[in-house]
Amino acid sequence: MDFFPSMAQNEGGVFHAKENKVSPVIVIFMLLGQPGELETASSIDFDAARRHWAYQPITPPQAPEVDHGEWARSSIDRFVLARLEAAGLTPSPRADRRTLIRRVSFDLVGLPPTQEEVEAFATDNSPDAYNRLVDRLLSSPQYGERWGRHWLDVARYSDTKDLVLTIGKDSVRPYAYTYRDYVIRAFNRDLPFDQFIHEQLAADKIEPRVEPWKLAAMGFLTLGPLYDDNTPDILDDHIDTVTRAFLGLTVSCARCHDHKYDAIPTEDYYALYGVFASSEKPLEPPLIDDPKNTPGSAEFQKDYDLQIAELRKHIDSQYEEITEGARMHTAEYLVRVATQEPDFFETATFYRSLSPDDLRPKLLRQWRQYLANHAHPQHPVFGPWHDLMEIPEDELSQRSGEVLARWSKVKPGTGPRELNPLVARAIGKATITTRADIARLYGELLKHIYTQSKESPTAGDTAREQLLTIVTGADGPYFFPKASTEPHMSRVPRNTYANLILKLDQLAVKKPGAPPRAMILVDTAELYDPWVFVRGDPSQPGKPVSRRFLTVLGGTERGPFPNGSGRLDLARAISAPDNPLTSRVLVNRVWMHHFGEPLVQTPSDFGVRCDPPTHPDLLDDLAWNLLQDGWSLKLLHRRILLSSTYQQASHDRRECRQVDPTNKLLWRAHRRRLDVESMRDTLLALSGHLELDFFGPPVDIDGDSLNHRRTLYSLIDRQDLSGLLRAFDFADPVQSCERRAQTTVPQQALFAMNSAFVIEQAKALAAQGDGAGRDARSRVASLYQRVLTRHPEAAEIESALRFLEQAARGKEDDKDSDLGEWEQLAQVLLLTNELLFVD
Amino acid sequence: MTLNTHNPEPSTPSRREMLQQTGTGLGMLGLVGLLADGGLLASNADRGEKRQSPLAAKKPHFRPRAKHVIHIFLNGGPSQVDTFDPKPLLDKYAGQALPSGNLATERPTGGVLPSPFEFKRYGKSGLEVSEIFEKTAAHIDDICVIRSMHANTPNHEQSMRLMNCGDERLSRPSYGAWLLFGMGSENQNLPGFITMCPGLPVATVNNWRSAFLPGIYQGTYLNTKKTRVEELIEHIKNKSLSRSAQRRQLGLLTELNRRHQKQRMEDAELEARIESFELAFRMQMAATDAFDVSREPKYIRDAYGDGVQARQMLIARRLIERGVRCVQLYHGDVQPWDSHSMLEKNHRKVGGECDQAIAALLGDLKHRGLLDETLVICGGEFGRTPAVELSQPGTGTTKLGRDHNHWGFSVWLAGGGVKGGHVHGATDEFGYRAVEKPVHVHDLHATILHLLGLHHERLTYHHAGRDFRLTDVYGNVVRDIIA
Repeated sequence: MDFFPSMAQNEGGVFHAKENKVSPVIVIFMLLGQPGELETASSIDFDAARRHWAYQPITPPQAPEVDHGEWARSSIDRFVLARLEAAGLTPSPRADRRTLIRRVSFDLVGLPPTQEEVEAFATDNSPDAYNRLVDRLLSSPQYGERWGRHWLDVARYSDTKDLVLTIGKDSVRPYAYTYRDYVIRAFNRDLPFDQFIHEQLAADKIEPRVEPWKLAAMGFLTLGPLYDDNTPDILDDHIDTVTRAFLGLTVSCARCHDHKYDAIPTEDYYALYGVFASSEKPLEPPLIDDPKNTPGSAEFQKDYDLQIAELRKHIDSQYEEITEGARMHTAEYLVRVATQEPDFFETATFYRSLSPDDLRPKLLRQWRQYLANHAHPQHPVFGPWHDLMEIPEDELSQRSGEVLARWSKVKPGTGPRELNPLVARAIGKATITTRADIARLYGELLKHIYTQSKESPTAGDTAREQLLTIVTGADGPYFFPKASTEPHMSRVPRNTYANLILKLDQLAVKKPGAPPRAMILVDTAELYDPWVFVRGDPSQPGKPVSRRFLTVLGGTERGPFPNGSGRLDLARAISAPDNPLTSRVLVNRVWMHHFGEPLVQTPSDFGVRCDPPTHPDLLDDLAWNLLQDGWSLKLLHRRILLSSTYQQASHDRRECRQVDPTNKLLWRAHRRRLDVESMRDTLLALSGHLELDFFGPPVDIDGDSLNHRRTLYSLIDRQDLSGLLRAFDFADPVQSCERRAQTTVPQQALFAMNSAFVIEQAKALAAQGDGAGRDARSRVASLYQRVLTRHPEAAEIESALRFLEQAARGKEDDKDSDLGEWEQLAQVLLLTNELLFVD
Repeated sequence: MTLNTHNPEPSTPSRREMLQQTGTGLGMLGLVGLLADGGLLASNADRGEKRQSPLAAKKPHFRPRAKHVIHIFLNGGPSQVDTFDPKPLLDKYAGQALPSGNLATERPTGGVLPSPFEFKRYGKSGLEVSEIFEKTAAHIDDICVIRSMHANTPNHEQSMRLMNCGDERLSRPSYGAWLLFGMGSENQNLPGFITMCPGLPVATVNNWRSAFLPGIYQGTYLNTKKTRVEELIEHIKNKSLSRSAQRRQLGLLTELNRRHQKQRMEDAELEARIESFELAFRMQMAATDAFDVSREPKYIRDAYGDGVQARQMLIARRLIERGVRCVQLYHGDVQPWDSHSMLEKNHRKVGGECDQAIAALLGDLKHRGLLDETLVICGGEFGRTPAVELSQPGTGTTKLGRDHNHWGFSVWLAGGGVKGGHVHGATDEFGYRAVEKPVHVHDLHATILHLLGLHHERLTYHHAGRDFRLTDVYGNVVRDIIA
């Protein structure tokens, strides 16, 4: 059914109104559907869709029979081996001890093992040496930094807000880091992943109340991009991130039309939209720690209190001015609504510079919605409005009389099928020839009742109260939460507001002593009842939907989310044991980081277009065990790391490569290059500079070559990722990142060869152990030991000595070089593939 | 992450191109090897298979008319009725209300503001250009003016992103990143997509981002307030070692890496990283050379003139000459063409800063035979209102300026297979709204890709569950402007 054959056409986001026979208000009413109408099913065949492997329930698969069961340490190995044997392949032997400790160290903590750790492990002959190694690393606090960072890729974590004209330090969100720190703590404490989901979506609603530090979990939602403060885009980010991160579904494809491939109708998209549109950030994020624990907080607090008071004052006065102004201009609002199409400007207000006397686009929008909900034939106030607006404008002067006459006989009262006596009196003496006349009549009446109420209270007068509530009530068209005053402001006060916010954030970023706060969401006072935006256009309302879960996962059967915005309900639906996606998606991500390749090639898209898992039973085995283990990630790591599959060598075997060139079947370990965090952290570890401090506001690692914190504490600027992070394939923090690209480009080599940072580490490395007094050979050997944790071969020593000699000689006739020959050699070792790759 | 949809074949570089890539004939063998199998990008789909650099030149979809793009971005929004779209009726209605009414733009506007600039006819085509661009106008017979451009929103950030990335707010790759993804670059010693600006334009890095495309396709931004090459490109020079000392270092590094590689010959990643150091070493010289305009003869430097605009344009030509795919030049910090007030003074000033250099660039490209294969684009993110901007209550500023106008504006193209001395489309009689043959920004993008041999509906990238393209679901190639 096409409700607006001639109504409007959206070309490139510009709304072009066309000739329209029906009043705009009526059109919206029609589109919203009749009250009480249920959500109709979309044309998608959900039963057929649920046959897709990813929606199948998880049952514990039987580990298959294999010929060489002695190789298998766990069910993982049996699933892998069965496929290898079926392909006529055999697994690789176990990697040697040095390789193994290096691999598992980078894997779990993102740092190389020390020389001593390597020696100890290599010579430890006890049967449980490897198990103990794994357990030691899993309980290391660096584990949370390493694996937390993997999650931060998925959470598109960034420290900055992407607003226009806020660059550099001005763009830093002062409390973003508390989310990063929450994630690190959650991983280190092995917080069960279902709780991790609940806290990230709804820490504010969990009973009994969570420990304060856990409130920071909601940065998962609140740290997204701002898209010029355009609400539908901000909420699209939430929907996209939540559904891809946890469910491996690309729900945001259903913003403008049903998903092209997956069983996701637009109704599902807007069902989730309603959840997030019913949530908002409080003006002041809550403290999550006793300010006394932050040095200088007392001093800071004085400035902060002044700033926040000024901000509140501004908001209060603007709120008052805007709502008062709107009530006094009700006639203008109604005339506009009754005579003009809803246009682009009413829903895309983010860029408009309003004058103080302009009508507020969002309030116009709210009037349209209000009338769509209330202007029906039985309404005691807007019943006549409805009947009059149904008459084509050019017939109004002839036909309005009969409508008014009919209404004059309606029983006075304030209930359905009655007529509010004040409205009756107003229309009794009216002459109506245009729609604007109708609108003015209502507008003047409402304004009159409002001004009158200031002098004489309405107490007990239900007719007056009914009208007054329209312009002052919390479900009336002029209501908006005070915290959302900003989009209604005209240009000058809006700039003032932006500056006050900026000053508050600057204070917290630049002045020491800001105690940590959590960037939470809370439910809005008035919950938002969603409806479909036709073709994704907020100015074109479609069918109403309820806040609920995805249909294909049983959302419509379960019905609307019962609790407030539904965020906690959503989190519970995501982590429900009968939802097969969440655990499958999670184990696939974990597998990918351990092996370098996932079992499902598209970790955030398990829809019908993705390649099926290479080892479906293995995926389910892992997912099943994850649930049995109470969503413990550490037990999952352990299960994987103790398998024979993980401990294989990475050596090439030509006969296997011919059968399975990409190693899909896992006949060996994948060789892997260090990512940017591990690379930089390794250089710092080898130079002895690495500072293992935890947590806190982000640091500038790129501009400051003397900063020696771990790389994950680097400032992540969404708009302007640092050159180092960008050159080395860091996750783009604009959208949830399922997997980093891996490129090899000369900019990386330029960093390695020329950056002040690498040269500093080379110098520090060469200076270690003060080798000046020792002979060159043993000095070369100890350099190799330190960097590559092995003895150099004789030929390698000879090459090094030759290089040292030439470099020393070259230095004499080369005044440009101020690096000593040992420093030059140290740099070469830091640049080797042997260091940068993990076998 | 996979590069699965667009899969162009590598084109074999000509001898001339090879020389450009290496600077000299030396090292050529290594480079050929690299282009052939230097597998720089590990996509899972092709792990273990023969791969090529993600920046290697690729064959487009069909025969291109242009191989390079120079985009002169007059950021802030130049006024069409004061530059390339004369409207005599503005004089007649000076100070009066527009009979057709004002269109909604960012700020309140009033009556008609006539152009303070004189228009003259130029060239054989006799096209009219205002005095602001009188030197550029000498090349009008090579220029195609689109007078019917339109965009969506009268605000800078959204329109800058739309003009560069095809979307106003969402994170989408810039067209330069798409070009690199689709075509690679002809010079592996320089970044393939370079943006220059003295300062930073509005929407900053958004303008040249790669978004969900791999980061290597992002524009390399150079702040041309700085003049020395080591300040322009990060880590391009080693401050502690001479070139010969570094050469010696790389010699040892390669030796160690080769030894390590022996047991791991099947792994193309290792080879790629070995080669990347050789490439980087050459890049240091190539980049230094490319950005050093002092190597140009004096008469050339004189032709471009003084100032940062001249330097940017001259660098652009040197880059294009070396095979760089796409060069963008922003006029200046924030939005220099944004003349809300005192338009006459401001437009005269910013026009005066770039007119001579633009003219010199066009002449220079033509003289070298590069104009045919280089598409030059010049314009802003939108135009300006023919109506005067009114003061905001409470701001107390004097006006005589124009507001942003996305309803209609002009962009011109030259070279690269477009008609010269040609006007396409028209605005209404006051220059407010594009009415005749309107060209949306999406259409411009489709046309740019077309001129470079890429089909805008086929250049796609699979991301987050669907195929994306520069033109989203829009865009029509403007065939009328193609020579």
